[in-house]
Formats: sequence, C-alpha cells, structure tokens
Amino acid sequence: MSTVTLKNLIKDYPNGFRAITDLSLHLDDGEFLVLVGPSGCGKSTALRMIAGLEDITSGDIYVGDRRLNDVAPKDRDMAMVFQNYALYPQMTVAENIAFPLKLRRVPRAEREAQVRQAAEILELTEQLEKKPAHLSGGQRQRVAMGRAIVRHPALFLMDEPLSNLDAKLRVQMRADIAGIQRELGVTTFYVTHDQVEAMTMGDRVAVIKDGILQQVDTPEGIYGSPDNVFVAAFIGSPSMNLYEATLERHEEAGGDRYSVVLGDQRLAVPSEVVAERPALTEHLNRPVVVGIRPEHLEDAAVVADHPDDQRLDATVDVREALGAETLVHFNLSAPSVDSGDPDALDELRDSGRCTARFSASSTARVGDRARVNVDARHLHFFDRQTHLAIRS
Amino acid sequence: MKLSRPSIRPSRIALHAVMILLVVWSVTPFVWTAQTSIKFTRDVASKTPVLWGYETTANAYRNFWLDSDDVNMWGVLAFVLVVAAIAAALGLIGRRARHGWPWFLGATAVICVALWRFPRFWEANDEYDFLVNSVVVTLLTMLISLSIGLLAGYGLARYTGISGAVILIVALGFRALPRTAFVLPYFFGAKEIDEWLTSTGVGSWNFPLIDFPGIDTLQVLDTRLAIVLALVAVNQPFTIWMLRSFFIEVPKEMEEAAMMDGATRLQAFRKVIIPIMWPAIIATGLFTMLLAYNEYLFVRVLAPTEWTLPVAIVSLTGGESSRTITEAAAASVSITLPIVIVIILFQKHLVRGLGAGAVKG
Repeated sequence: MSTVTLKNLIKDYPNGFRAITDLSLHLDDGEFLVLVGPSGCGKSTALRMIAGLEDITSGDIYVGDRRLNDVAPKDRDMAMVFQNYALYPQMTVAENIAFPLKLRRVPRAEREAQVRQAAEILELTEQLEKKPAHLSGGQRQRVAMGRAIVRHPALFLMDEPLSNLDAKLRVQMRADIAGIQRELGVTTFYVTHDQVEAMTMGDRVAVIKDGILQQVDTPEGIYGSPDNVFVAAFIGSPSMNLYEATLERHEEAGGDRYSVVLGDQRLAVPSEVVAERPALTEHLNRPVVVGIRPEHLEDAAVVADHPDDQRLDATVDVREALGAETLVHFNLSAPSVDSGDPDALDELRDSGRCTARFSASSTARVGDRARVNVDARHLHFFDRQTHLAIRS
Repeated sequence: MKLSRPSIRPSRIALHAVMILLVVWSVTPFVWTAQTSIKFTRDVASKTPVLWGYETTANAYRNFWLDSDDVNMWGVLAFVLVVAAIAAALGLIGRRARHGWPWFLGATAVICVALWRFPRFWEANDEYDFLVNSVVVTLLTMLISLSIGLLAGYGLARYTGISGAVILIVALGFRALPRTAFVLPYFFGAKEIDEWLTSTGVGSWNFPLIDFPGIDTLQVLDTRLAIVLALVAVNQPFTIWMLRSFFIEVPKEMEEAAMMDGATRLQAFRKVIIPIMWPAIIATGLFTMLLAYNEYLFVRVLAPTEWTLPVAIVSLTGGESSRTITEAAAASVSITLPIVIVIILFQKHLVRGLGAGAVKG
C-alpha cells in the first residue's frame, strides 16, 4: 500500500527562513494530489523533502508504515519528473529510460522489454535512438515521464513538469499525464503553480501559501467553498472578485431581509444565504469581505428574468470576446481586497476592479452603462480580519 | 536583413594585411628553427642566410637524441610517426567516446611502451632520459591535478557556504602570486625532508613495494616526484577554478535525477556528471599538460640533474655546451611537435576551455 503521510513537516533554512510550516497531508493509495501555490510558497521544497533531496528540519514522512526521514533518495522507491526534465544529455532516449533499471541490475532482455513498453505508452518508439538534444519539448517531457514509469515506483513526484511547454502542448500533456497515472494507479504528488492544472488533474488539491497549507479538498470543494480569501482568489480564472462590504439587516413584517452595501450600491441577499451561515449575523453592520465569481455575474440585457434588487450598475471598461463567452471588466466603487497572492498583477489590486463572465450574446460595449445580474445565492463571505470563510 | 557577399573594401584589405602580418610574425621563428634543424652547420654559419636550395640532413636530430653516428634516421622517423599515428587515432576516438578514458589510457600506454622500447632499438643519449622525464612528469601532474580538481571543483560548485568561498578566494590568491615566490620555499622544504630522511635513516630503508630499479635511497630533491608535487601544488587552484566553472553549468537536477533513479551520489557523479563533463575534463587536462610540459623554473631549481626537455634545450643555448645551434634547433622542433599535434587534435576543447563559463553547455 503506497499511502503517503506527512506529519507536521517543518523546513528551516540556515538563514532562518522558514520555508514550510507544520505541513501535514495524507495521500491514499493511487491518489493524485496536486500541491498548488504561487511562486516561492514552498511547494517545491515540500516535494523535495519527500524525495529526500532536502533535509527535514522536523516532522515525519511515511510511505505506508515506513518512516523515510533518514532514507537516502535512491532507496525511497520514488520516481521524480523535474521541471527542466533533467534528461541525461549523453544518453539516448532508450538509455535514459533504461537508466533506473540498469542501476537496479535488471537483466538486459527484461530491461529492453520494459523500455519498449514504456515507449509505446508514451509514443516514443520512433525516438528511442535519439539524444535528448534532438527532441522537441513535448518529447523530452515524455522521456522524463518514461524514466519515471518504467520503474513502477511506489510514488510519482512531479515538479511543475508542464511549465516549460507551450500552451497547446500543455493542455494535451495534462490529459496524458492524468490518463497514465490513472492507468498505472501509482500514488502521485504533483506540484504546480498553475491552478488550471490543479483543478483538472488532481483527485484532490492542496493549496499552499508562504509554506502554510491553506486548504485540501476535491477540486469542486476548493472551488465551491474556499476556506479563505487567498484560496478563493487563487483558484479560478478569472479570479473571484473580492470587496470590502457591509452586511445590513432590515427588519420587516414578513421576516428579516438582508443586503450587502458595495460602495454606493446595494445588493439584496436572499435570506436563505444568511440562514445557511448563522455566523454572518455576528458581522451585521460591520465590514466583511464579499466574493463574487465572474460566472455569477450576467448581463441583465441577456437575462431579463432576475430580481431587480440583485443587480448592480457599472460602466464597462474592457470587453474581451472569447467566442463561447465574453469577459467584461468594469469598476465598482467598493474597495477591493488583496488576497495576498504575490503573483497577482498589481493592476488587479486596484480598487473596485471587477470581472464578469457574460454570455457571448451580450452586447455590452466599452463605455456602456451596464446592468449586471448578480447571482446572490453564490456569494462568498469572509471575515475581514482573519480572511477566513464565514460558513457556519 | 539582406545577406550580401562581402565586398572588397580598404578596411577589409587592411584587416587581412594585419592578420597575415601577425601570422608571419608568430610563425617565422618556428619555420626558421625548423629549417635550421635540418641544415648543415656550414649553411647555418654562412654570412648570407641560406633560405632555400640547401642540402638537408638529420644529423642534428641524430646527435641530439642518439649515441651513434651511423643510424638511418628514416627508420627512427618511421617509428616515431607510427607511434604518433596510433596514439593520435586512439586520442581521436577517446575525444568522441562517452567514456573517453580507456582510449586515452590506451594512447598513453602506446606512448609509454614506445618510450620504453625505443632504447632497445637505438642507442639513446642522456637527452632521451629527459624526454622520458618530461612525459612522466606531465602525465603524473595531469592525473593528480585532474583527480583532485574534479572532486574539489564538484564540491565547490555544489556547496555554496561561506567556507567554500574562502577556499576559492585563497586558491585564487595562490594562483595570483608569482611562481618565483614558491620555488625557494619548495626547495628548502624538499631539502629539509631529505635531510630528515638521511638523518633518521628512513631514506635508505628498503621498501619492497616501491623498490624501483635505479632508486637506492628515498629522497625528494632532484627527483621527478619533487617536480610533480610542485607542479600539482601551483597548478591546482587553476584546475579547481576551471572545473568548478564547468560543474556550475551542469544543472543540479542532473545528479538529483540520477539519485531519484536509484544511484548513490558517487554513482550519479560517475555515471551522469562525469560523462557530461568529459569535454571540460579534456580542456582542463590540456591546460595542465601544457603547463607541466613547458615548465622550466621548478625543474631547474628542484631537480638539478633530473631535467625535463625545456631545461635540456636551454642548456644547449647557453654557451656552457659545445653542441651546435643546429642541435638546439632540432631539440626545439622535437619538443614542439608533439604539442602541436595534440593542440590540432583538441583545439576545439582548448577554445572551449578559454571561454569557460561564458558558454552554456
């Protein structure tokens, strides 16, 4: 059983920098876990600690029941795919793939058979006698995969294996890697900064920031109910729109009604939204962070059937027609919230910037004053101080 | 951009003129020496230089190398050419092979066997011993320098702590000091050791395993060992720096990948890093070879009688010797040609070595 358990892993560098703080994770046998985070968040360090290429300051790593802290990398029975592939330039593709077997003194005939089999899975049969220098980026990536799968290891470690490929190839390899992993059923720990890879490939996604694990959940869980502002903004493209707003209660005869004040506009909040989150009532009349996913905004000119008090007015700044949908950027007068993603563009931190995913049939033009339907049932609420989700 | 054939412009003509002048400037002395080495003394001594149409002779070579006057030099030339051709062929294969060292070992073995057998065919002079000294000193210096340099260069390339930087800076400092600053301390040090060996009697012990023929007493001064030790010491900083700069170009992921694939660190070094480093090892080895082969000062001071060829040649020109100028020329040509051959074979690696660190591998 190749389950992987990380217990309270800590990594301190000699200069005092703490790269990983108290990381605990568990991977089930055959699970594909993606560790995702912005650059410099410690995700590669975590992977390298599992690989044994980086010392562990404190904490434990187990594969099955076996504690691996003091086991040399070569004895950990893990295969790693590096970001730059790290193919051996002096060896042919066949020799590269056979190298791990050769080190294990696998007999030549068996070795050749296994290399051939791996090459067939990866469609590298034509390339077997070539040197890595004569391969395309995608082929090199597949050779690196071949070197990993030929061994049937207990665990695959992948360190941003797709980030050196061009966009089209990345989409294809994304599916290929996920497919191969499912076919082989090898437990996989995959590190990336690309949240699309995380969402599409992982059985579960772990989001990490500044060496601290933020949330571990299925892709749907992470996307649908992010634990904090950072996860909310980091997962999803375009990002969730996050504003400082005030929640108000209006006591009326037919039951209390709630609304959110976004700058100079007011948005009605269905009472079931508040009913699902009783803790929200503790934040009444105080600023909270409100999040709206771009797909929960729609052009009122396209969908007319929408409660009027769940609409916002805004002037269209930028329109990006993508064919299947149209991204519309506009400005709300409410103050934006910085999610703390170091990779986010500075202009996205500008106050009030909002991105909406309109239907392709939207005719909103730059400069138009648009009416925007807000699907208020899908609003996200976060504490303004702690940035934690208000869910209970 | 439109590509046009280079037009003939005055600036180009001037450039070529300067280049031709530089080539003539550097080649003329060597051509002159080569000519002198195959002339008769009367042509060399004539008041008007005899530039062509002179009678050629191999007397100078015969007199310099051999102890006999009636040897057919064509036979000697044929022997030397055959040995050189075999060694060069092995070297060429080794240059291209992934693991070149067996081939270079073969080339070295061919040269050594030839040097060993040569005196059985022809009766050689003392100068022949100096040639043997040159070869032994060069090979040993290369071997030791490269072994230490590879390990130290790799370690210093991968370890980025403060003590690594200190070692590198100190090494650079030693490299920057003039040779003359070392030669006397080495001399006195060697002398001290020899005196200790004599006074304690250790020097006259009989070590069964290192009881080489011709060595009665153990000593440092005036041995090949002294030259090799001194050359390794002064050359090591350069070897370490040069190899380190090549190692830095090899991504760290290379050995990490090997270790993940199941290799120990040593296996990763041997099976993955060294083959990648092969051209760099050749380049560094060549520079070490040139240094050891051409060394004059250390040999002159540390080995008063166990000369290598440069010292032997200088002794011909100083007036201490009654040998003729033609013999000095023959000696110069003999010592230069092997190096010229090696450089022609490996010039690509030398150029790469000169630009070490500038080009990403």
